[in-house]
Amino acid sequence: MSKIDGGPPDYKKLLPPIITENYGQWKYHEIPRAGVLKHVSEKGDTLYSVRVGSPRLVSIDYIRDICALADSYCDGYLRFTSRNNVEFLVSDEGKVEPLIKELEAKGYPIGGVGNALSNIVHTQGWVHCHTPATDASGIVKAVMDDLYEYFGRTDLPAKLKVAMACCLNMCGAVHCSDVAILGVHRTPPRVDHEKIRKGTEIPTLVAACPTGAIRPDPKNKSVVVNEERCMYCGNCYTMSPAMEILDAKNDGIAILVGGKVSNARTAPSFSRLVIPFLPNNPPRWPEVTAAVRHIVETWLNNARKGERVGEWIERIGWERFFSLTEIPFTDKHIDDFIFSRETFRTTAAFKY
Amino acid sequence: MEKGPANPEVKEKVLAYLDTVEKAKSKEIAAKISVPKADVDLAVKELAMEDKVEYLYITTTFVALKGKVKPPQ
Amino acid sequence: MPDKKTPKLDELEHGPWPSFVTEIKKAAVRNESAKDLLNLLERSYDDKRGHWKHGGIVGVRGYGGGVIGRYTDLPEEYPHVAEFHTMRVNAPSAWFYKTETLRTLCDIWEKHGSGLTNVHGSTGDLIFLGMKTEELQTTYDELSDAGFDLGGSGSCLRSPSCCVGPARCESACYDTLDVCYDLTSSYQDELHRPMWPYKFKFKMSGCANDCVAAIARADCSIIGTWRDSIRIDQDQVKAYAESGLDIQGMVCDKCPTRALKYDHEKKELHVIAEDCSRCMHCINVMPKAVRPGKEKGATILLGGKSTIVQSAFLSWVIVPFMKMEPPYTELKEMVAKIWDWWDENGKTRERLGELIYRMGMTKFLREVGLPPVPQMVFRPRANPYVFWPQDEIVK
Repeated sequence: MSKIDGGPPDYKKLLPPIITENYGQWKYHEIPRAGVLKHVSEKGDTLYSVRVGSPRLVSIDYIRDICALADSYCDGYLRFTSRNNVEFLVSDEGKVEPLIKELEAKGYPIGGVGNALSNIVHTQGWVHCHTPATDASGIVKAVMDDLYEYFGRTDLPAKLKVAMACCLNMCGAVHCSDVAILGVHRTPPRVDHEKIRKGTEIPTLVAACPTGAIRPDPKNKSVVVNEERCMYCGNCYTMSPAMEILDAKNDGIAILVGGKVSNARTAPSFSRLVIPFLPNNPPRWPEVTAAVRHIVETWLNNARKGERVGEWIERIGWERFFSLTEIPFTDKHIDDFIFSRETFRTTAAFKY
Repeated sequence: MEKGPANPEVKEKVLAYLDTVEKAKSKEIAAKISVPKADVDLAVKELAMEDKVEYLYITTTFVALKGKVKPPQ
Repeated sequence: MPDKKTPKLDELEHGPWPSFVTEIKKAAVRNESAKDLLNLLERSYDDKRGHWKHGGIVGVRGYGGGVIGRYTDLPEEYPHVAEFHTMRVNAPSAWFYKTETLRTLCDIWEKHGSGLTNVHGSTGDLIFLGMKTEELQTTYDELSDAGFDLGGSGSCLRSPSCCVGPARCESACYDTLDVCYDLTSSYQDELHRPMWPYKFKFKMSGCANDCVAAIARADCSIIGTWRDSIRIDQDQVKAYAESGLDIQGMVCDKCPTRALKYDHEKKELHVIAEDCSRCMHCINVMPKAVRPGKEKGATILLGGKSTIVQSAFLSWVIVPFMKMEPPYTELKEMVAKIWDWWDENGKTRERLGELIYRMGMTKFLREVGLPPVPQMVFRPRANPYVFWPQDEIVK
């Protein structure tokens, strides 16, 4: 039997020699061109990192292909970023241009460094999740195709981080992104009483509901859902397939904007809901790509240099964001969950 | 961090309790059999290695006798 | 079996961004499960709904997690994805690999699964996407023999993850890679045998830019900082000024605490050290000229999580400054107390942040023995409803 609890591979054995030699001794970095970082160490060593966007869902053929490139140009070392990018670690300056040429010839997008659109982090969607309100990979592909030019630039007002989660469990920290694309369910689970009676443990199912919306119904040997309390999280569906949460007619997309995690200038903050619902329209979700592009372009045209989406909006005011973008403001935008009061305007000073 | 072997009596008690329920969290087992939770966790670890119990993740992680809970139909 | 048509997904092979559909098709050349995944996904694009059921039953011996069970709800039509489980492979710190390491993983996965992966999943693990139940144990055994291990899933410690840190970043204020590896190695029981109310995540960022979004998604966010003052290299300030950077506008005016003064005449930048909040802005704009101080460590924050159940929380400050030196005893002693408290008081599926919120921050601090300090709050309470401890009341 194989041993257990061996732990992950030791990172120290996987670092390229230039990193081992300059570990903790990096002095500064520059961005010599889009998608490339140049790090210089105290003793003058130079490391180039060439960043390439990946679709995250990749075959072993893809991995073998990038390995072949890393063997040719990086002495067999590479790394990945937290946003699904591949970074080729080049210690020989002379190999940077040839690597870039080969990457371009193979169609690998180079970018996502500095004041650029970074790769979209996302969840599984219809590819592999059990409670999705939409696909993730497909929307990400459609949006990245549409915003492609901004991935390879470095002259946006600031960084632009877009994230996508396929239901409102919001896996993957989409809740703190410049633009968050979020799958939303809009209808409570539909109870299949027959299935419940066949083999669902009712107390566990009742306990699974975070808002206490599910009550036992002993007469029917089933449960009832208090629909007003349901927040469509799908936890009950996880517990029992008898609680059908997917609803092809009503599931769709919401857009939230203005979040960030960095502490630079302003505190980390949540993204805020600006478009409560767009339809699921595969394979290219044109309503979603248009909405994201419109928000991004309004930011590009109006933000001052250095302003992330949220910083721009906080400066001009959310009321101005809605007038500039002409996105209709509705009752859906006003919070009525548990921490709503802090979002109400308690001042008589505002704009139109 | 070495925690040493589990107490065989605790292992027996855990198995006996799991026999009476479909699945349970180890905190609940500890309360029912009046044993510190850390001891239950250790017993469950060994019982899992012995293929007598298994872990189930259904919105949170439970413990059950091996094979007692069936995969979805 | 004749190939089914997938016109909707085929459309997603067009356009400049690399296509996940092309990736699935590459795997489908050699693997029937990958082919059925493509067909099932096309079905989802037609039906506008997912076709997966949850199943928490599968796993490998000795582990309580690391495998996520998945079954399609249409097994007759798509038999090769009737079972299509996920395996989480714990990645090395900061996702550094040798190509031979990745090739070993590819070879194992080619033999036992769909050939599809996520590099990486949101947890930071490398994901083997899609395998049958009967392949789980063999795949694990081969992974283990080759020096890999599973990541966490379920109500356990999830695989810690970290930013690139001192390996390639001049802003790293502590060794994120080592802390990540050390905690992962120290907490194998907690990682592999779920025993808690719910999940628990550590994420390590080397500075306040927080490149792994620790503050947004980790129950314990360890964010690098320094206690003394930023260091300014005036020669480099001059070089930036001469290169055309608007130091007054882009650096000083954007400093959130107005702690920077720029002398246009001398082309010198000065900091009012006690006013600086260490946000990283000036360092980001002028990395050659401004650097973190010398007395480095980390801020420890707790409670970050996404929306379910009680809304999303950002982690909040628990220890403003902690030295981060191996074997990280201070951190581990604090973590042990916090886990005990959460395990003792937490309801099922209650994250640490939600528990602290429900029980009260003062009670939490008292019971785990942490001193209250003003860095923990933006501002003190506005109400007078203090729950006075009995021992502070005159009897």
